[in-house]
Amino acid sequence: MNDTATKPWAEMTWREKRDSRFQRWLNPPDVKFDSPEAERLYKERVTRFIKAIKCEEPDRVPVMLPHGNYPARHAGINFHTVMYDYARAKAAWLKYMDDFGDMDTFNGPMFVPSGKISEAMASKITVLPGLGLPEDSAMNQVIEGEYMKADEYDAYMMDPTDYNLRVTLPRTVGLFESFRKLPPLRFMFADMWVGALADPDIQKTFRTLLDLKDEYDRHQTANREIATIVLARGYPSLGGGGIMAGAPFDTFADMLRGTRGIVMDMYRQPQKLHQAMAFQLELVKAQIKNFPMTASPICMMPLHKGDDTFMSDAQFAEFYWPTLRAVFLAMIEEGLVPMPFAEGKYTRRLKQIADTPPSGVVWYFDQTDMAQAKKVLGGICCIVGNVPSSVVMTAPVEQVRENCRQLIEDCAPGGGYILAGGASIDKGNMANLHAMMDAAREYGVYK
Amino acid sequence: MFTRPDNWAELTWQEKRERRLEKWINPEGLKFDSPEAEAGYKARATRLAKASKMEIPDRVPCAVPTGWYPAKNAGVPLKAVMYDPELMKKVWLKFVDEYDSDTFDGTLFFQAPVNDILQAKTMKWPGHGLADDSHSYQYVEGEYMKADEYDLFLRDPLDFQLRYYLPRTMGIFEPFADVPTFSSYQGLPQRLMAMCLDPRFVKVFKAIQEAAGYMPGMMEADAATTRAANARGFPVFRGGLAVAPFDVFADNLRGTHGIVMDMYRQPDKIHQAMEFVLPQLLSGAIAMADGAGCPVVMMPLHKGDDTFMSDAQFEEFYWPTFKRLLLGMIDEGLIPFPVAEGAYNRRLEVIADMPRSGVVWMFDQTNMARAKQTVGKVSCIAGNVPVSIAYTGTAAEMTAYCKRLIETCAPGGGYILSGGSTFDMARPENLRAMMDTVKKYGVYK
Repeated sequence: MNDTATKPWAEMTWREKRDSRFQRWLNPPDVKFDSPEAERLYKERVTRFIKAIKCEEPDRVPVMLPHGNYPARHAGINFHTVMYDYARAKAAWLKYMDDFGDMDTFNGPMFVPSGKISEAMASKITVLPGLGLPEDSAMNQVIEGEYMKADEYDAYMMDPTDYNLRVTLPRTVGLFESFRKLPPLRFMFADMWVGALADPDIQKTFRTLLDLKDEYDRHQTANREIATIVLARGYPSLGGGGIMAGAPFDTFADMLRGTRGIVMDMYRQPQKLHQAMAFQLELVKAQIKNFPMTASPICMMPLHKGDDTFMSDAQFAEFYWPTLRAVFLAMIEEGLVPMPFAEGKYTRRLKQIADTPPSGVVWYFDQTDMAQAKKVLGGICCIVGNVPSSVVMTAPVEQVRENCRQLIEDCAPGGGYILAGGASIDKGNMANLHAMMDAAREYGVYK
Repeated sequence: MFTRPDNWAELTWQEKRERRLEKWINPEGLKFDSPEAEAGYKARATRLAKASKMEIPDRVPCAVPTGWYPAKNAGVPLKAVMYDPELMKKVWLKFVDEYDSDTFDGTLFFQAPVNDILQAKTMKWPGHGLADDSHSYQYVEGEYMKADEYDLFLRDPLDFQLRYYLPRTMGIFEPFADVPTFSSYQGLPQRLMAMCLDPRFVKVFKAIQEAAGYMPGMMEADAATTRAANARGFPVFRGGLAVAPFDVFADNLRGTHGIVMDMYRQPDKIHQAMEFVLPQLLSGAIAMADGAGCPVVMMPLHKGDDTFMSDAQFEEFYWPTFKRLLLGMIDEGLIPFPVAEGAYNRRLEVIADMPRSGVVWMFDQTNMARAKQTVGKVSCIAGNVPVSIAYTGTAAEMTAYCKRLIETCAPGGGYILSGGSTFDMARPENLRAMMDTVKKYGVYK
């Protein structure tokens, strides 16, 4: 062990903290590898990512394949089946892993909820294949809405947990409709709790939850089994390690106020919005502080409303960036690796987002101009992306290859680059995914 | 339930209070046992209302501080009453039938079976931390909020409640100490689901369900007893409960030791926290009084007494937010009824800074002659017959003490004869002597 391991956490620099988290990722204590070969490959792959993240040159450009839920299709099943038949889902993912062969990272189904539990939950904000969407739909969809009213910022800030439980939940999830009847719970002592929870409708909600226990257990177990096997084979995962957080602006824009609501707020009550984001930032910082050692230090952060088309440069500078940057800094300080996923386009944002500590942030881009990104962020942030889904799904193999070659030429020099898709695919073909891996091996080797 | 008239916002606080008192004196939907009972109810309520407003009633009202005395009176152990709502009802109504008072004190109901199931750590009661034949329950103070947790509490009070306070104060909630924060909505439904998978939480939910089974019976017995006492002519001089902002932290969260340290080490945090709870205490008090249809809000006070803190500390920490709470209640037409446990001799001038007739002060061991000359000029005062006389004195001693109190405090109105504390173990003749004395010496001419 290096000497950072013996130094007290509070006295470490952020790089030392990050190194000890990287060590944990590199030497997972709870993984039993299938073979010494699997272990060797695992470490080789993780080292590749770590070097890229630190803006250094690894042996070659690492690749995050955009296979998304494609393994289901590869096995001849769809999202709907994955929701309901956990055994077939597991078989599909493992089959894909074996059929594909060498890759740098892999994991089980992402964001596929259990069908039976989803039925019982009756969410109003998520529609799923067979539950609000045609059964053969390729994925889930979020229904945005004004789930928090324009005049409710203060109620939210006074007691966010209370607001979540008594207001947001009943508005967004059918099963929790009954929580609407709860009184404010913050000063309840002893017996009063029982009085509040004795309501027959609330009791019914808890009974339903308890009845779903076995189903939930089956679903969790299946997912855990996939994860265990994938790791044992030597494929590291980038997700699920760090804290799942977004931009404070998106907390309100996506989840609570919706696009229309948040745009109105930027004009009608900008101070309220600022106050709420500052408040949200404190909540997130409290979660980040002393974050435990986890499988990997990477914090996946999907970003939405800050892209080039949702708001102006001035609005981005005023509303979006300051608190998002503060979240990054808090994560970095704790040795975590923020990995924002800039959905849409961030070409106009590049200059502003360069203002973070060198090698602290990993930017994953969707439709951003990557050559431009490399020019602005090179040496400051590792960048990730961005073969378009349209190319991966429909183009001939040669074009995928060429696209990757160009990206590597633009982004790889000097290190700090991970080849990836702009988004994930649900349909497509294995040959194009192989083409991406092949391109990295052929063009992405550092000499 | 009190409903506000349309012109509520235009009324003065005295007019608001008058509307509320009218509803209390003439309760809708209450069927009296007899015309005499109805006349008795109205006479008693009117007497209390006039005294509260510092007007001169027909005589000094007397609130016999019942406490748990009805159990002793019926020869039944308190423990039995705490576990048997039907028995409680019988025992309390027996007291109502046998003793005269201007008020019905309520049942002071303690839900022992519920506390058993929840494994309450902040309470002791007969058979649970106290001897089987104990005649009261006991609150167990502790540092249930740590010194460095003010910010957690302030940022997200319910999250603090669920993950810190409850696991520390109720055994059954211990598993909540290990769950991540509820402050993020992301994935919350799924997390609640995950909690239900954990057998430790299954136990929590089942316990709550079981405890909930006891509630309706207990609440109904409590309500029925109060209804029956009202129907016999005895009004309840209490529509809600509230506490001083300082005591929220001193009593419930930080404990005496903790709060004293905070006054020196982090005074700003206490102030910030008191500011936070103030509006919520106010809205809670208003809601309770509305629901009960009686404007009187009883406020047991603890850590502001003469011996707990210095004058300077009282004026810095205790009084400012407490004063604003009182003013907020008065402004809504409520009658704050602080009960100053211990002694308030050194506070009398400070607490006199209130609108005339806005507050009713109940004193325990405070010097009543001085109280009458100071705060008694602006507020109705009540109390302070000592428990020692009630428990161990003779009827003659009781009579003498009450007579002297009446002579000292009654002139000009604004006095309610009552105890310094509750008379759980009193001698029956002493309770009767109180009422006899007030009838004999307390009549205004």
